[in-house]
Amino acid sequence: MFIPAWVVTQAGIVKNLQEYLLIMSLNLTYKHVNKIFGEQSKNPVHALKDVSFAIEPGELFCLLGPSGCGKTTLLRSTAGLESITDGQILYGDKDMTLIPPFRRNIGMVFQSFALYPHMNIFENVAYGLRVRKTADDIVRKKVTEVMELVGLTEELKRNPSPTGLSGGQQQRVAIARALVYDPDILLLDEPLANLDAKLRRYMRAEIRRIQKATNITTIFVTHDQEEAMAIGDRLAVLRKGVVEQIGSSNELYTRPNNAFVSNFIGKMNFFNARLTGQGKATIEGTRTTITIRSENIRFSSSKTVANGEPVLIGARPEQLEICREQFDGGIRGTVQIIQHLGQFVRYEVVLDASISDASMEIDMPYMVEGVFERDSVYVKVKEGLPFLFLPEVRN
Amino acid sequence: MNTNTSTPPVNRKGSDEKSLKKFLQKDLTPYLVFAIPLAFMAIFLVYPMVVTMLRAFMPSGNKLLLGSFSLQGFTKFFESAMYQKALLNSFIVSLAVTFFCVLIGVPMGYFVARVKMPCKNLMLSLGILPIIMPSFVGAFTWVILLGRQGVVRHFLNFVLSPLGIEVPTIYGMFGMILCMTLTYYPFVFQLSYGAFASANSLLEEAGMLMGAGRWHIFRTITFPLILPSLGAGALLVFVRAIGNFGIPAIIGGDKYVLPTLIYFRVNGFWDLNGAASIAVVNVLITAFVLYLQKRVINRHEYETISATHSEIKLHEGKPIRIIAAVYCIIILVVSLLPQITIIVMSFFEKWVGLFPEGFTFRNYLRIPNYSSKELFNTFYLSVLATALAAVLGSLIAYITERKKPKGAALLDLSIMAPFILPGTVVSVALLSAFSGNSLIKLTGTYTIIVISYMVRRTPYVYRSVAASLSQLNPSLEEASTIAGANWFYTFRRVSVPLIMPAIISGSILTLTTLLQELSTTILLYSSRTRTVPIQIYGAVADGKLGEASALSVILLVVVFGIVYLMNRKQGKSIASSFKMG
Repeated sequence: MFIPAWVVTQAGIVKNLQEYLLIMSLNLTYKHVNKIFGEQSKNPVHALKDVSFAIEPGELFCLLGPSGCGKTTLLRSTAGLESITDGQILYGDKDMTLIPPFRRNIGMVFQSFALYPHMNIFENVAYGLRVRKTADDIVRKKVTEVMELVGLTEELKRNPSPTGLSGGQQQRVAIARALVYDPDILLLDEPLANLDAKLRRYMRAEIRRIQKATNITTIFVTHDQEEAMAIGDRLAVLRKGVVEQIGSSNELYTRPNNAFVSNFIGKMNFFNARLTGQGKATIEGTRTTITIRSENIRFSSSKTVANGEPVLIGARPEQLEICREQFDGGIRGTVQIIQHLGQFVRYEVVLDASISDASMEIDMPYMVEGVFERDSVYVKVKEGLPFLFLPEVRN
Repeated sequence: MNTNTSTPPVNRKGSDEKSLKKFLQKDLTPYLVFAIPLAFMAIFLVYPMVVTMLRAFMPSGNKLLLGSFSLQGFTKFFESAMYQKALLNSFIVSLAVTFFCVLIGVPMGYFVARVKMPCKNLMLSLGILPIIMPSFVGAFTWVILLGRQGVVRHFLNFVLSPLGIEVPTIYGMFGMILCMTLTYYPFVFQLSYGAFASANSLLEEAGMLMGAGRWHIFRTITFPLILPSLGAGALLVFVRAIGNFGIPAIIGGDKYVLPTLIYFRVNGFWDLNGAASIAVVNVLITAFVLYLQKRVINRHEYETISATHSEIKLHEGKPIRIIAAVYCIIILVVSLLPQITIIVMSFFEKWVGLFPEGFTFRNYLRIPNYSSKELFNTFYLSVLATALAAVLGSLIAYITERKKPKGAALLDLSIMAPFILPGTVVSVALLSAFSGNSLIKLTGTYTIIVISYMVRRTPYVYRSVAASLSQLNPSLEEASTIAGANWFYTFRRVSVPLIMPAIISGSILTLTTLLQELSTTILLYSSRTRTVPIQIYGAVADGKLGEASALSVILLVVVFGIVYLMNRKQGKSIASSFKMG
């Protein structure tokens, strides 16, 4: 692991680096944060609705959600670039709500990188230190160290303008610039959105390495669930200004709180159904009844649903199967598209109109003999594995 | 942790106290810095305009009588034949000039952009000269060429006399239209050139593949796409033509137009209130045309959709190449005749008949004795006003673009207003507010000229900087704030360096137009504050064409030098900098 030299020198009495890093890292707490854009205008937008949660010291935390969900607003409010309408944001136990951004000691990496074209990369990285009127020799030392951390030692020697660098290198300069003055919190606003797919995968591993090396409490905003699952210690899924669920990638994938989260973290196929008994539901338009394990019933016991009321059965693509011949409990549909994707074959099946108008995505480990596009098939829901959700409230 | 519950009502208690605390926590420097330009605008732009509006409804004279109301200034447009003629002349001249500029400029833009021909860059550079040169200089050189004793007129009359045709003299409507057309056609030429050259040829190729002919494509694809640029160019010509003072003053003869009528009211009768009424009418016409243009153009403004762009294919057929080259050369030669003429004229005593007579350097040698004060004033006033306008324009652009205050649209409108106001109107507004029995008296001072220059030219810097800022990602400034810099540090180290090219190009445009400013100065100067253009105007009025030419050559050389340097450094078309909105 990379050990920044200045950390050791500043630490002095602290012997154990790990312990020191833990002391240095801050937790981040949101208490009933509300943000309303255009409060006085005719149609105010409630961008954040009573957001309350905490981020652990040294954690790499992902804010995930579709565009317009409020994730960027939450990040910008954390930085102080947006003022919040109501609530509190705390760094450690210090209330930062009213502190202007330039007094918060944070580092931020922007989607566009926001590197200064009129400065060379050394001055770009040194910017925060120059603002803090740091002595020249310390500036040089710190910039060198942080450039080593992000892997740009060679580029620093040539010291070009950032416009001459590749996307990945610009990204590293932007990260170095945000880290050089030891910020309390690091904020990353869709930092990988401007990179091509291959580089994106590489850089997300790099970001995780750098974050773990410095152990700065970090928020990473993205709309890409794969990226969030790959990089984050924990994730928060936002929708329309509301935090839908917080947890590790595994928790969110295996125990989604509702239909939205389940379909945002991985793909989920939904069947409209009615509850017919404890852990049993019948798919609308069929006589197929599915039994669901109690831990896969994803609504709280307080919201009891009476027998005969509508529910949603959710099944991941691998929890469905297709067959050529009719069998008991098979749901009729037509194959639209067959894609061979290597490890598995993806079938897109449209169910009979009386059952559902949505198309199902079904992953089979092999090509099903004799099934071609536009053929009629029967879909089977694997027993026990699927989820049970409350129907989404359309608003 | 699931917070998916209904939103509790937002707590509003103590929100006043909180907002005060928030305000005090903020960085207050920007508010202090912004107060100065806003105060300037209020005192020297908005206030004079308001006073002008008031004065327009007062009985004629120079007294500011708040109690009395009169439509006298306006009823004259129905009673006085002179007023009616001036109004009609203004209409005819500016519409005709706009029409002819489009007629000349669009084909030239198309030829230079789309036909293969040599020396395109030279043509573009020469094609800009008429607008950077003082327009009244053009006017008096046409007197040499087409005046009663003009050389070209002599020649043409000699050639055409067997046919019984006599060429009209330059004085009057014909001369004004000719002179303004040749001065302002570059706006249409350069802007339509830009549109023709930058249009995406894929769109035209797609039309061709779908089976459309050349003319059909031009009519249905090319032309609609250049229409916004054409509209901008035509508007620019109209606004300039209706506000031009120098040309009608020198060659209008007995044909008055609104700006000369204003001058006449002020200079002849010191009737500020009467002048204000004419100014209001003048502005109303301009505003109406601006409104029409916006309405027509807005319906035809398109976003470019396609991502890929391919090079335009040039016409290579011999006939069209010859036609294009001949056409462009004729237009260029005719429109540059004034420049050539003044250079020749400046070395001679007089030029009546076919050849100039009496070669001499006296015209130049006289300058140090007779015009040194004017030279000093011109440079002093222009440079000072440019520097101040640069600061003012940049700050206001920064406020409207970055702080997005509530009245941003209003601020934008008020700073852009002088862009369409004729120079004489600005002078009348300033005189209305700061002379006679008003609170602050500035008549005859350097200050009032500097202020009038700033008010008129700040839009150049403002537009240039605002455009540059809107291109600049705000996250560049946010990154600085995040890194711990306060507003002033960010402004100094990030914003200003990044918008510097825009500030410079706006300032250069300002400086070059101020060096040749006549229409504002003519109403504001005193014996102490005479400038070179005033001196030239006076020399022409006295018939000392040699001296006027020598002074004009000096202006021309300085202006051309500045523009040339800027073009080399930035390589961007000047015409597009004149564009508004």
